[in-house]
Amino acid sequence: MEKIIEYLPFLIPIILLELVLAFSALIHLLKHPDVKFGNKTIWIFVVLLVQIIGPILYFTIGRSDQS
Amino acid sequence: MNVLSLKNVSKRFGSLKVIDGLSFDVEEGIVFGFVGKNGAGKTTTMKMILGLLECDSGTIRVCDEEVTFGETATNRHIGYLPDVPEFYGYMKAKEYLTLCGEITGLSHTQIRARSGELLNLVGLSGVERKISTYSRGMKQRLGIAQALLNSPKLLICDEPTSALDPIGRSEILSILHAAKKYTTVLFSTHILSDVERICDRVGILNDGKLMLEGDLSDIKSRHRENTVTLEFESTHDLQELHRTLSDLPFVSSVETQNRALLVRLSDTIDGNQRLLEHLTRSKLMLLKFEVGEPTLESLFMEIIK
Amino acid sequence: MRSYIAFCKKEVLENLRTHKVLILMIVFLLFGMMSPLTAKLMPEIFKSLALDGIVITIPEPTALDAYAQFFKNTSQMGLLVVLLVFGGMLSTEITKGTLINMVTKGLSRHVVILAKFTVASILWTLTLLASFITTFGYTAYLFGSGIQPNLLFSIFCLWLFGLFLLASLLFFSSFTSGNFAGLALTAVSLLILLLLDIFPRLHALNPITLASLNTALLSGASQISDLTLPVGVTLGLTVLLLGSSMMVFRRRKL
Repeated sequence: MEKIIEYLPFLIPIILLELVLAFSALIHLLKHPDVKFGNKTIWIFVVLLVQIIGPILYFTIGRSDQS
Repeated sequence: MNVLSLKNVSKRFGSLKVIDGLSFDVEEGIVFGFVGKNGAGKTTTMKMILGLLECDSGTIRVCDEEVTFGETATNRHIGYLPDVPEFYGYMKAKEYLTLCGEITGLSHTQIRARSGELLNLVGLSGVERKISTYSRGMKQRLGIAQALLNSPKLLICDEPTSALDPIGRSEILSILHAAKKYTTVLFSTHILSDVERICDRVGILNDGKLMLEGDLSDIKSRHRENTVTLEFESTHDLQELHRTLSDLPFVSSVETQNRALLVRLSDTIDGNQRLLEHLTRSKLMLLKFEVGEPTLESLFMEIIK
Repeated sequence: MRSYIAFCKKEVLENLRTHKVLILMIVFLLFGMMSPLTAKLMPEIFKSLALDGIVITIPEPTALDAYAQFFKNTSQMGLLVVLLVFGGMLSTEITKGTLINMVTKGLSRHVVILAKFTVASILWTLTLLASFITTFGYTAYLFGSGIQPNLLFSIFCLWLFGLFLLASLLFFSSFTSGNFAGLALTAVSLLILLLLDIFPRLHALNPITLASLNTALLSGASQISDLTLPVGVTLGLTVLLLGSSMMVFRRRKL
């Protein structure tokens, strides 16, 4: 446990970036709920629970058309 | 000089002959309205002019150069606005025009000058937003701007007003009218009032042929048949009246519309007078005697029949 | 030439404004940071998972383990992200119809393919580089040394495989319709390559080795000579795919 605390300065940027990804995906999802396929609820889970690849999937193939 | 010239052009899709011996010319500096119902072949004709479709027979010449399918050298004289123009939504108008300019090969100074001019012409000068936020009307306007970027001799617009509200239509028509200064305009539409507003010449396409073609004012006067709408106090003898009026020599046809009679006179000069005399003599109680003017719509309806 | 540069500029603008650059950089930087850290903390993770009585000891992690993590992450999730981000680079333009205006103004079809490949490759290169430098730095700090045998060659192989994927995406998008067909076909062909990898005799010809033997190169289980043929094959295939895309796309109805 102490070792993990020792490495905290390394862990923090990682956690921050992952949170940024997840939350920007979540916010975008809530603002534009008409996703390309699946439905809003499924994507909320995907974006929050599937690390890294969840938000990526949303941003690349899941999100509603922007124009 | 004729900017566009079609001679005996035909095109068939399968067993359907969409365009059948179509011929017409468009001279420099006018606005030509290409009218027809949906599916008459207006877009097909335009695509053949642009070399995107091959015609089965006949020739098309743009600025006196022949149009060949695939090899689109003649397109350097043409600016094209398709019916649903698609742009890069993440760009701003100026950025998009710059991209078009660079692809066409214009210099940076030319691009800057032309973009400024054209954005002014189409009313998009101050707009700094991304294209994805544009309304349909704004996209049409940007479409006209990019079509005119390399100063083409012929501007072809496919149904530029069809999906717009009346205000949008009015704006586009004004722009097209103003564009006459720089180029020749050919646009297709099925909205007849558009044609009446800005066109110098009209071509009505039906069954693959041009049913009617010429100067707008000419057409109207050539086909001027005065129509008079009559309304009487009693509808009692409407049928009897219908028959008697139809037999009159200066009447070309009579139609019953609800409680009124629509009388078409063939002799314009005396017709009104003679009809009035006849009605007075018949001692019928006349409620309304309304003289009508021929509209493109009525001409169109007749032709389509 | 001018239209090539103009269209390349447009591609760069597009990748920036549609946030593709941002997504790639975030993900690959994450991998860059996570890999050495995960390797270093492995013993701790295992210790905390240990049940009473059962003691799991794993050897002290080394720089090799850090790179092993890096290659594992990058070659699996990383390449998946690359596919997802670049999957629609040609398809979406075709479906939306944005190329019509460009082509009627004189943009030649093969310039479209070339410009897209150029910009995508540059972006891939920069991303992979950023990721690698991060891992290199973290590894040097956490493990004392970042230098491994064949490291640069190994990265090169992975990089080349990325280019191969981009060329495949363009090729499969050049004749298919819809937003995902090109991506789907590329994925299918990758699966086929993975399946073929089961046969050791085909190893020498399979591009997939460029993304599976990276760690082996570092540990010594594979030599550079084992991979020279796959490198050649992949290079050749990439060029072939690009050329075919241009030819096929030329006749494409827009």
